[in-house]
Amino acid sequence: MKRTILSLALALPALAQIPRTADGKPDLSGIWQAFNTSNIDLQDHVAQKGAPAGQSVVEGNEIPYQTWALAKKKDNYANRATLDPENKCYLPGVPRVTYLGLPFQIFERPDLVTILYEHAHANRFIYTNGSPHPKGPIDWWMGDSRGHWEGDTLVVDNVHFNDQTWFDHAGNFHSEDLHVVERYSLLDAHHINYAVTIEDPKVFTRPWNINMVLYKHVEKNFQLLEYECYAFDLEPYYP
Amino acid sequence: MRFTSKLFVSALLSAGIIGSAAAAEADKAAWPQHTPDGQPKVEGFWLTVVYGMGCLQNPRAGVGCLEEGEEPGRAAPGRPRPKPPNAASRIIDPPDGEIPYQPWARIKQQYYLSNYFEPTRPEFLDPQQLCLPLGPVRQLTWHDVHILQYPGYVLFEHEGGHVFRIIPLDDRPHIGSGLKLWMGDSRGHWEGNTLVVDVANNNSKGRLSRAGDFASDKLRVTERFQFLGADHMKYAATFDDPSTYTRPWTFGFDMKRAIFGAENPTKDDAHYEQWEEACYEGMKPVDYSLRPERSEESK
Repeated sequence: MKRTILSLALALPALAQIPRTADGKPDLSGIWQAFNTSNIDLQDHVAQKGAPAGQSVVEGNEIPYQTWALAKKKDNYANRATLDPENKCYLPGVPRVTYLGLPFQIFERPDLVTILYEHAHANRFIYTNGSPHPKGPIDWWMGDSRGHWEGDTLVVDNVHFNDQTWFDHAGNFHSEDLHVVERYSLLDAHHINYAVTIEDPKVFTRPWNINMVLYKHVEKNFQLLEYECYAFDLEPYYP
Repeated sequence: MRFTSKLFVSALLSAGIIGSAAAAEADKAAWPQHTPDGQPKVEGFWLTVVYGMGCLQNPRAGVGCLEEGEEPGRAAPGRPRPKPPNAASRIIDPPDGEIPYQPWARIKQQYYLSNYFEPTRPEFLDPQQLCLPLGPVRQLTWHDVHILQYPGYVLFEHEGGHVFRIIPLDDRPHIGSGLKLWMGDSRGHWEGNTLVVDVANNNSKGRLSRAGDFASDKLRVTERFQFLGADHMKYAATFDDPSTYTRPWTFGFDMKRAIFGAENPTKDDAHYEQWEEACYEGMKPVDYSLRPERSEESK
């Protein structure tokens, strides 16, 4: 009995460090942002003009491409200035939308986690009501997201992607068979550990993992603005 | 009295005497319920009763807007001429149902309108054709909006072009006046069952209709979402822009709770989901939408 009380007392401070919703789940509500250079290149990369150096967020720094796919990735890299779909401002897909560099706001309730992104009004509805993915095939830019809680981790299963998005500006790519599993775990009130498993048997020889930290904005009155990148070329016509 | 009947209904419910249909009726009788932070609970999918963005007034030549085929010297082949007016003006103030443009602004609107059907320059294309966000008011006339409520916030998730609005309900100030946004900067509060939203920082690039109706980036909009019952809302937006209009004017329409359940195999509206509506990603280049002679010129 005494031992139980002692271990509870030890556990409590750790529990108190993360905010929780009324139903006891970790409360991910707030405005978050990745502060890293993963959008330039997920792997180790040296600095170039306008593109700072960065450490790999890929576990082991290796993306296990099949032989043909590695050649295509190299070709993508060589032509990234024109081929990167971000240049056209297409919806960026998952997980790239997370580390594209702009803030996003999470709204949480028991049956649904909504993520609204400053980038091009992209949105995601992550249903946590036990519903399955709709029957495919469906080719969506942002895929279909269904979530559930494993302990204090929000696990999001994503399928039904098209093959048009890249993971970064370095040409890392996937097919329409992409399967993404994201894990959002609060480290404390202001940090989320964001772990992603990428699976695509058409392109990679095995699943591979991304790990990074997301930071919460705590500035007074901070809010999402807009980045309608597809509109920049058209704006002059609408003064 | 109501308290007594609610008690009675809940007693029947707990005794398992009445079923879920009766419970739904009881919910309606108890409207509105409230969220934990005290907002009237209005969540769900809502849809305008008068759908469309062709024009804000009833179609009438020379003043407001035209239907295709009604322009001088051109008739849509095989189509009967529309018999105006075919819809009541959605402009509820001033009483004449017209936008009170300043003279220069009326000329500009008519210029846009007269070039709408055969656009020769990009600026004659309606912003909606280019998948641009339509602004806070016009977006409500296109597809459904999913209203979600969170402590301190109301969210609008528009199905059209996956545009959203985040409306804080606290007393924070608007963002700096130098910032202009396609969907404006919204601050809301509840007055009884009416959500009042003050929208500043409008870039006003989305225009207001296909008839060339417009505002400037000095526009301030006050929206009133007056919820009259579980399924009925009256919407009114007052446009205040002294640089463009001679007086403030108000655009308004009724909205109903959208019933999509009939399209679902489950017949269950609670499980309707907004699915991805990527728009820009499939857009043809601007030149494609212009009159051929202009496209040739620009090559």
